[in-house]
Amino acid sequence: MNELALIIEDDEDLGDIFAEALRGVGFEVEHIEDGEVAQERLKHGAVPYLILLDMHVPHISGAELLTNIIKKDERFAKTIVILTTADARMGEAYTEQADFVMIKPISFVQLRDLSNRLKPQAK
Amino acid sequence: MSTTLIDRINPPKDTSIESHRHSLVRILSLGLLALSLLGMAATLIIFFLYPEGKEQGTMLAFVSAVVATITSIVIYHVNKRSSTAASLLLLFLLVGVSIFSDTPEQLANGRSLFIFTLPIIMSSILLMPSASFIFAALSTIIVVVLASTARIPPNLIAITSFFMLALVSWLSARSLERALKELRAINANLDQVVTERTQALAESLERERIEAGRNQAILNSIADGVVVFDTKWNAILANPALKSMLDLPIELIVNKNFRDLIEHPRLSPRSRGLLYAMMEHDTQPPSFRIEWGKKTISISAAQVYDNSKEGNQNIGTVTVFRDFTREAEVEKLKSTFVAIVSHELRTPLNAILGYAEMFKESVYGPVNEKQVNMADRIMKNTQRLLGLINDLLDQAQMEAGKLTIKMAPVKPAELLENLHSVMDQIVHEKGLKLTSEIDDNLPEALNGDGARLHQILVNLVNNAVKFTDHGTVHVRLFCPFGNRWGFEVSDTGRGIPEPEIPNIFETFRQVEGAATRVHGGFGLGLSIVKQLVNLMSGEIKVKSKVDRGSTFTVILPLIVPEETLEIGRNS
Repeated sequence: MNELALIIEDDEDLGDIFAEALRGVGFEVEHIEDGEVAQERLKHGAVPYLILLDMHVPHISGAELLTNIIKKDERFAKTIVILTTADARMGEAYTEQADFVMIKPISFVQLRDLSNRLKPQAK
Repeated sequence: MSTTLIDRINPPKDTSIESHRHSLVRILSLGLLALSLLGMAATLIIFFLYPEGKEQGTMLAFVSAVVATITSIVIYHVNKRSSTAASLLLLFLLVGVSIFSDTPEQLANGRSLFIFTLPIIMSSILLMPSASFIFAALSTIIVVVLASTARIPPNLIAITSFFMLALVSWLSARSLERALKELRAINANLDQVVTERTQALAESLERERIEAGRNQAILNSIADGVVVFDTKWNAILANPALKSMLDLPIELIVNKNFRDLIEHPRLSPRSRGLLYAMMEHDTQPPSFRIEWGKKTISISAAQVYDNSKEGNQNIGTVTVFRDFTREAEVEKLKSTFVAIVSHELRTPLNAILGYAEMFKESVYGPVNEKQVNMADRIMKNTQRLLGLINDLLDQAQMEAGKLTIKMAPVKPAELLENLHSVMDQIVHEKGLKLTSEIDDNLPEALNGDGARLHQILVNLVNNAVKFTDHGTVHVRLFCPFGNRWGFEVSDTGRGIPEPEIPNIFETFRQVEGAATRVHGGFGLGLSIVKQLVNLMSGEIKVKSKVDRGSTFTVILPLIVPEETLEIGRNS
């Protein structure tokens, strides 16, 4: 059974690329494009092993999801959070809360290599 | 009214002794007339009360009174034409009256001898100072004649005293005349001074009135709100623009203390704090923005100094209010636009980049060498486009004053490491070498904006690579002196022609038009570097020789983070 990676990213193509990178190293991938949907999913669905979270998603921003849900819910204590943003300044502000902050443009190879290192087998 | 003023200012020019004598003769003639009329009345009363006695004497007195009346009227009229003639007439009348005023014995050497002193004294005043001698001589002749008529010897002592009196009269009349002359001269001078001063005062009042009118017109016509405060921040003057900008009656602004305005509920708490800070600053306060209700107002203040007084005394503050609401809205729109553009442009480019990478990495099946090469080109061009967008956004942010420097501890070694990770491949692909070194005297960590320092280094190295065809790009981090640190990026490229050096940091500038086509880019790289260095309170210098290479040197203030200092002390 592969570990679950949750991608919260509003751009369909980027979500597709990220999914391909994560799938390539053996994750099972779930892609959500909307902040509100992501909030419901996080509250009620299975706890993912890894979350790739875009800071700018519609309705509820990634930053809010991180601060108000992921960081407050004990269930996500072991979940690895990779925050993605185009704004380097904004990213810097969240280095404490997220495990990794990736500044867009995000390279397919870079993400693939990083997630490969983060896989449970790599431990 | 103005006529009287002018008359006062310009007294009649005829200020001679003549007019003085003229009025004197007039007074005397009138006095004489009054006395004569009184005499006539008295003799008439006596004539009617005692008709039986002293008929001859009374008649004589009456006739003399009538003669004196007529003569005084004649003198008065003559005086209107010539005061000298009138004076002569008066004096001769006096002499004549004197001759018949008593018996010859009494006149020549008796109780009435003194009567001849009167014309002597009066002549010196009425005619001229020396005329007293003429009348002294005349009196002497009369006295001698009268004495011979009365067959008595003339009184020589009296005659001598006539001349003595003439002498005294001459002297006193002369000095009186001189004193009068001097007085008149002083008066005239004083009049002149008063005239000049009055005119100067009138002129300066006029000037001030014009000036005040002009200043008022300027104040009224400018669109910015202006308010003038005294040293205690009481508003002494405000223009109509301020009234309409703040939408307050002028009575709530002028003659009120600034604190009353600051406490107005329409002002946001933050703005209140800024305005209080402005009041407390003794030095030139900078311009800043406040929120007044829904309006954004930019405020700048300048202290007013009185240069005429010693020590350049501060006499108040002029504060200019400018309605910045529209500009603030536009700025907000611009920064929103920049944020949207930065996100919306980068996202599709990221997708292009990602798909090209996937293609190159053979994610969906094997690709041949040519296809890998093509994917590489797509990636490189996308990277370039991303770089250009980043440059444009940085430039836009700098123009909007939005780009700020965030200081945090930075490790110089990490700066070089990051630089190599980004630039090594680019340098290698062009067949160049990127070398770097850190001087020993540079601290392990220092305060700086890591991301912006990285940007500066990348831009400088990129620029060096762009203009170097073979050789090395070398980066050195060092401590030049005291509280400064810096880095230099040198290349072995074609160099910059001397006349072009001052222009290379200008926005959208590349050396020669042709270079732009060969090397691409907007020419924003160096301009951004320069602006970033300025924001960091540093400076950038260039040394270059054509065909020998260029060296860009950046010098920045060195602030060692406290943590590093503590570690240093402990170890």
